[in-house]
Amino acid sequence: MWDELKRYVRFTPADAELCAAFGKLAAPEFSRISQEFYDRIREHEGAHAVLTGEEQVARLQRSLVRWMERACGGVYDESYFEEHSKIGRMHVKIGLSPRYMLTAMALIRIELTRVAAERCPEPARTTNALNRLLDLEVAIMFETYQEAMSARIRNADRLKSEDDGRALARLEQLYANAVELAPVLVLGLDRAGNIRLWNREAERVTGYARDEILGQSSDILLPEDLRGTLAARLTSTVAGPQGSAESELLTRAGKVRHVVWHAAHMQANAEDDVTVFLMGSDVTDRKAMVERTRQAEKLAAVGTLAAGLAHEIRNPLNGAQLHVAFLERAIVKKGSDAGMLEAVNVVNDEIKRLANLVTDFLDFARPRPLTLLATSLIALFARAQAIVARNAEKANVRFTCDLPSADVEFAADSPRLEQVLLNLVGNAIEALEPSGGGHVTLRGRRQPRHVVIEIEDDGPGIPQAAPIYDAFFSTKEGGTGLGLAVTHRIVTDHKGTIDVNSRPGRTIFRVILPLTQTDGADS
Amino acid sequence: MLKSPPSQSPPISQRGPLVLIVDDDARSTRLIAQMLREDGFNVEVVLDGARAIARLTRAPLPDVLVTDLSMPHADGNSVTMFARSQKPGLPVIFVTGYPHLATSLAGEPRPTLFTKPVNYAELLTALLRVLPPDRRPECRP
Repeated sequence: MWDELKRYVRFTPADAELCAAFGKLAAPEFSRISQEFYDRIREHEGAHAVLTGEEQVARLQRSLVRWMERACGGVYDESYFEEHSKIGRMHVKIGLSPRYMLTAMALIRIELTRVAAERCPEPARTTNALNRLLDLEVAIMFETYQEAMSARIRNADRLKSEDDGRALARLEQLYANAVELAPVLVLGLDRAGNIRLWNREAERVTGYARDEILGQSSDILLPEDLRGTLAARLTSTVAGPQGSAESELLTRAGKVRHVVWHAAHMQANAEDDVTVFLMGSDVTDRKAMVERTRQAEKLAAVGTLAAGLAHEIRNPLNGAQLHVAFLERAIVKKGSDAGMLEAVNVVNDEIKRLANLVTDFLDFARPRPLTLLATSLIALFARAQAIVARNAEKANVRFTCDLPSADVEFAADSPRLEQVLLNLVGNAIEALEPSGGGHVTLRGRRQPRHVVIEIEDDGPGIPQAAPIYDAFFSTKEGGTGLGLAVTHRIVTDHKGTIDVNSRPGRTIFRVILPLTQTDGADS
Repeated sequence: MLKSPPSQSPPISQRGPLVLIVDDDARSTRLIAQMLREDGFNVEVVLDGARAIARLTRAPLPDVLVTDLSMPHADGNSVTMFARSQKPGLPVIFVTGYPHLATSLAGEPRPTLFTKPVNYAELLTALLRVLPPDRRPECRP
């Protein structure tokens, strides 16, 4: 490049010699020229701004003298070029504008040509050589400015594109995270109802992994009897006035979850573009909890009321009982009359029955603290079986116990838990009685943190939505309607849950109890 | 119900063991009193806690106290505590529709607890058991 520049300016070896000769003659003038040069700069505001003080000016004056000495040194090789490029870069670095550089060069040119005219034997040729030399110097200076400028432009471009790319990637990441981490199911369906978007919560709730469900029809998420109709409902009615709809969702394991959906529609061009986004919340647990809370509140209210009433029943019963005792004594005194004594005994029994009912009811209505002791599931089942076996036989019902391979021990109030089993198995047997025959299974299983007890029968089932846990609700003639209410209370007192899954031909009551151990204080 | 019903009109013993019955249910209480008298007891009846305490301030003090728990003016636990301050170790039987109201404040020996409706034969057995042998009625087994 340096050689190319020299060719362009037509700076010849002869010029170099002339410059060197000039240098020898002009050297005594350099110091003065440099001083005048910086005096001029000091006077100029813009150029002056790059100076920091007299010390610096003195240094700069010295380096300008050196520069002139070298410029007129007669050696113009690559290292000369490098050396002078460095000076140019220094100008760039301190922020000296190119226009000051140009005027400065003009000043030096005037001074040097004046010196040449005054002192040199061949002033015209020397002036020409000096002009070419100074043109080279200007070229070098401009080269450094251009170098810096293009570096700055390249850098700015690079920063800008980096920024743009990073911002876009971050935005994409943000949206992806919003969808992925949202605690709601996010689905995207195309026009045909095929799944095109499937977030992590959807994977968690349904058990279907993204890679296996993308492209599939959303129908596989619906219970069979709802297929088609619900798919349509989800994609159209959801956008209706209230903007949400509840539906059942079939998981991979075949379980049904209740999900409330919101929908957002969008225009799509391609066949496989998403036309509707569905956002769903799994409300299954919340629904169950609301139902349980409602149940507990109802029981508490009815319990308080009824406890008061039950106590009041005891007083008149006491009067009746004592008067019956008095009658009995009178009958005996007058010579026993078997018929009358029998009648008295019947009244006695009835009073006893009422008294027991009151006691049972108070047990149910007035929560009594549990006595939690280590309880063996197998022993519990054995006791229950011993009691129900005869009733089952009488009703011609086949009763089986389905036990886990290893015993399960957990903290429970075992007499009360036994009452739960007797109530549930008793109900199952009674449900089978009218049809005669049938099968009741009492099943126990261990889960990681729970023990699950199921009572299954193949009877006619329970009508949907029957308030079976409500006190005094009974479908049986002569039933007090307390059995399931007491059962419910005992299970919830154990911090467990009870639910029922019933259809004609199969009813399962499932009691789930926490698998806690007794601590020392309880025993 | 009775193991050995009386074969003749029972003597009303004035020297039999004294039972103080405290209960605001007048009709049932009088009936118990009548049957107990027939069975050889000396019975006094008061119908509320305040009257029970008043009665317990004078002699003769009862051999056994039969009291309800929930009554006007003073409850069965209070009556028991007062009675035992007058006569330490007095046997006490609670007859109540509210068995959960019995407290340990009543002291020792722990009162026998009957939940209404009370079976007369069982009450009689309990009375005979809590009385010292020399204070049991003569005509009873």
